[in-house]
Amino acid sequence: MRKIVALMLLAVLTQPIVFAQKQRSLTQEQRIIHVLNRLGFGARPGDVERVKAMGVEKYIEQQLHPEQITDLAAETKLRELSTLNMTTAELYEKYPQPGQLLRQLQARGMVPEEMSDQAKNNQNTPPANPLDNEKNRKVIEEYYRENGLQRPQRIIAELQASRILRAVYSERQLQEVMVDFWTNHFNIFANKGADRWLLPAYDRDTIRPNALGKFSTLLQATAQSPAMLFYLDNFQSVSPNANQGRRGGLLQQLRPQQQQQQQQRQRRGINENYARELMELHTLGVDGGYTQKDVQEVARCFTGWTIFQPRGGGAAVNAMMGEAGRRNAGTFFFQARVHDDGEKMVLGHKIPAGGGIKGGLTVLDILAHHPSTAKFIATKLVRHFVSDTPPQSLVDRVAATFMKSDGDIRETLKAIFFSKEFNSTEAYRVKIKRPFELVVSAIRTLGAETNGGPGTHRWIERMGEPLYGFQTPNGYSDAAESWVNTGGLLERMNFGLALANNRVQGTTVNLAKTSGEQAKVMDEYLKTLLAGDISATTREALLKQLEPSDPATKVVGLILGTPEFQRQ
Amino acid sequence: MNRRFFIKSGSIALASVGMSLSAPSFLERIARGNTPPAGKRKTLIAIFQRGAVDGLNVVVPFGESNYYELRPSIAIPKSEVISLDGFFGLHPSMSAFKPLWDSKRLAIIHASGSPDNTRSHFDAQDYMESATPGVKSTSDGWLNRYLRSKQDAEQSLFRAVSMTKTMPRVLQGRAPAVAMSNLSDFAIRAGKSSENLQGGFEAIYARETKDSLAGTGRETFEAVNYLKKANPAQYQPENGAQYPRTPFGTSLLQIAQLIKAGVGLEVAFTDIGGWDTHVNQGNSRGQLANLLQQFSSGIAALYQDLGQRMDDVIVLTMSEFGRTVRENGNRGTDHGHANAMFVLGNGVKGGKVYGQWPGLKSDQLYEGRDLALTTDFRDVFGEIATRHLGSTDIKSVFPGYGSSPSKFKGFLG
Repeated sequence: MRKIVALMLLAVLTQPIVFAQKQRSLTQEQRIIHVLNRLGFGARPGDVERVKAMGVEKYIEQQLHPEQITDLAAETKLRELSTLNMTTAELYEKYPQPGQLLRQLQARGMVPEEMSDQAKNNQNTPPANPLDNEKNRKVIEEYYRENGLQRPQRIIAELQASRILRAVYSERQLQEVMVDFWTNHFNIFANKGADRWLLPAYDRDTIRPNALGKFSTLLQATAQSPAMLFYLDNFQSVSPNANQGRRGGLLQQLRPQQQQQQQQRQRRGINENYARELMELHTLGVDGGYTQKDVQEVARCFTGWTIFQPRGGGAAVNAMMGEAGRRNAGTFFFQARVHDDGEKMVLGHKIPAGGGIKGGLTVLDILAHHPSTAKFIATKLVRHFVSDTPPQSLVDRVAATFMKSDGDIRETLKAIFFSKEFNSTEAYRVKIKRPFELVVSAIRTLGAETNGGPGTHRWIERMGEPLYGFQTPNGYSDAAESWVNTGGLLERMNFGLALANNRVQGTTVNLAKTSGEQAKVMDEYLKTLLAGDISATTREALLKQLEPSDPATKVVGLILGTPEFQRQ
Repeated sequence: MNRRFFIKSGSIALASVGMSLSAPSFLERIARGNTPPAGKRKTLIAIFQRGAVDGLNVVVPFGESNYYELRPSIAIPKSEVISLDGFFGLHPSMSAFKPLWDSKRLAIIHASGSPDNTRSHFDAQDYMESATPGVKSTSDGWLNRYLRSKQDAEQSLFRAVSMTKTMPRVLQGRAPAVAMSNLSDFAIRAGKSSENLQGGFEAIYARETKDSLAGTGRETFEAVNYLKKANPAQYQPENGAQYPRTPFGTSLLQIAQLIKAGVGLEVAFTDIGGWDTHVNQGNSRGQLANLLQQFSSGIAALYQDLGQRMDDVIVLTMSEFGRTVRENGNRGTDHGHANAMFVLGNGVKGGKVYGQWPGLKSDQLYEGRDLALTTDFRDVFGEIATRHLGSTDIKSVFPGYGSSPSKFKGFLG
């Protein structure tokens, strides 16, 4: 019997949300809330009124042009995070990995022999811990202190803080939503080797400036970003036919010896990893119509797309190369010597021999303008902004706009924001907030202050989605149905309680003093936190929990944990 | 809209598959207490040694002269090795394993691991957990695929549990699983008000009907309430078992606790780090010795604690790759290739080192430096999935591999 009931329930629950032919549209108030939820991270106190005064369409237009919005509050908040504006080379210099620092000290003859040995033999594993030894640890700690150096862990902590701070405080809300979207689409895992040092530049120079521009520009920026080249191994991809014996060129001669040895030890030859993910995850989609042969050919096109001193190089080398060497560590460069310059066929297009770097650029152009890419990106955008089950009619229209506008992200988004599907009751408060969205929206809606630090990020991690913490290149899923690995409902409730009670380190809430009967107080908070959008049953259940003596923190903590607050 | 929904992972997590209406059965099972459900459930406890343990100093080929030649300062002297069969021996700090070997409940698969030649911890762990070496885009782990491949009649909320802070790659995927760093964290944590607030949330989610948050919420609290009743803090191991007082020891203890509670645990996972011994690895004593002591005494304690229940339990250990045969200039070892795996349980045909031994002469080494691989780890996983857990769809668990019983080593008969 139970089984039958369960099956029936299953049948009901597996029904996709139906976008009716004739959709009910949102009230003006709802539309404003909807826009603040989806184009941003939820309303702060007073936001609804502000948008109402300005007009919601004007607000959307403004959000599509973040460069025209002043953003002093957010910029002030970011001032303390010094790594954000450093070049990768500076990060390598000021936030060295302890093992690498040992090598540099050795090169300068500043380390006792025993430790030099250690440094020499440690090269196979940059993250290995040479500080297991007490004596080494002391010397290194001393050196960090004397030279004003910091541990590299700090870099990602600051980057995570910057994302939280911007999402909470920035007036450029859509920009932040799109940064989140593209960071996920072009996912990179911070704990893969050198990516820790490469990610600040990735956020600042690759994703951010292109988040609302042309998709082709964004795609090329990611293809040439050291972070992606490292994450998907392309920096090691070389033509097997390249003349490995002739280690010519200034660069090779100046490379520190251990790095040469390391390179020799690594697999020489073509690495298809980037080529595959480029088509499967970044552009065409898994069923986008490419073959294994295409993967191989694309990989050939990208041989030699690499990183200058991918792990920062050595101090000695930098000194020999002068300022230029120092500046350019960890930047993209095309190494023609290891490029496979023969003719290739990619998706039916001939890539002529002898093109050098142009071959890869042509591939990116073909992919960026491919109809499968338009469809794939449109589907993901509609899923993100409208519904976990993207209505096909809307996807088709959005894909058409993408094609027509030469992959203009702004135009593509417009097609979504002004569609009837987006502005329908079927789309209203049906998306489950991802952990990042939940944490940021809770802070915003309460008008709380945060430093965005690890105390806040820890909760996002507990809910299962630490920023830059997703290992594989597909990124966190945007469809709640596949979140079996994320979420953590209990942690969501615990977070709400912690936030309301000022137990989230680095974040402070000032709940307005309230008085009067419980129902009235509760309804006030329901209005603030959920614009009163709560089911009668939840409201009733909530009310039953409250005693006259209960503090506001309990009311707020409970509301933040309701099913309603999990949705946007 | 899919019925299956979220929660799980983070320090705590729980996922569920449209179980809302079958939920009372879960509570009923709990009410039955420690009696295991009809038709004994088989359990796998998978342990990942993260950082690449030096298998050659764990299961020592002391019969190889090259072993001693290549490791002048870190080799385990013949006189100190716990001899297993006259050729292989255990590291002396693993004496807790010796009785299990002698009673033929401990099998070793040497020279096993991933055929991919990567020496990156990141990539190799990824491959071992996805069980698709060389393919990075596999989105789920092999244990999760196993769970999906087999219907769970009981729909247990605790069918798959990882005692780790976040959901490990090996259990990521569409089948429900729970990750928590400690059983006692699985609660509403608000000091004195916890109970009151939990009651509040329970009431709210009990009335929720709109989407899958409803069922998920109810299941969450059932699980929370169950664990409360089990009172993890009061647990007393049986048979005089003494777990190491470390996070690893606690994980194993809590896994034993879940098994005894009969909640339908089928796949348990935990991990232990610190194996990346590039520097001063030590020999009979030292860094690696200390860690191996903790590792082996923890597993032996679990074995002792579970007693007769080990009829239905298998413990499997793995590590992403082995280490160089030759010691480096820092009395340590660098990243290598093949490694040794342990399989323990009353159903194991133990007392034997399985797998072909490739030898340690220079022309026998992989890429001139590492222990060569003779057993693909998927053959070990596959044998356990098939013969212990009863998977009938091994091909979907190891896509693109061509798993076949003919490749099994036979440690399960």
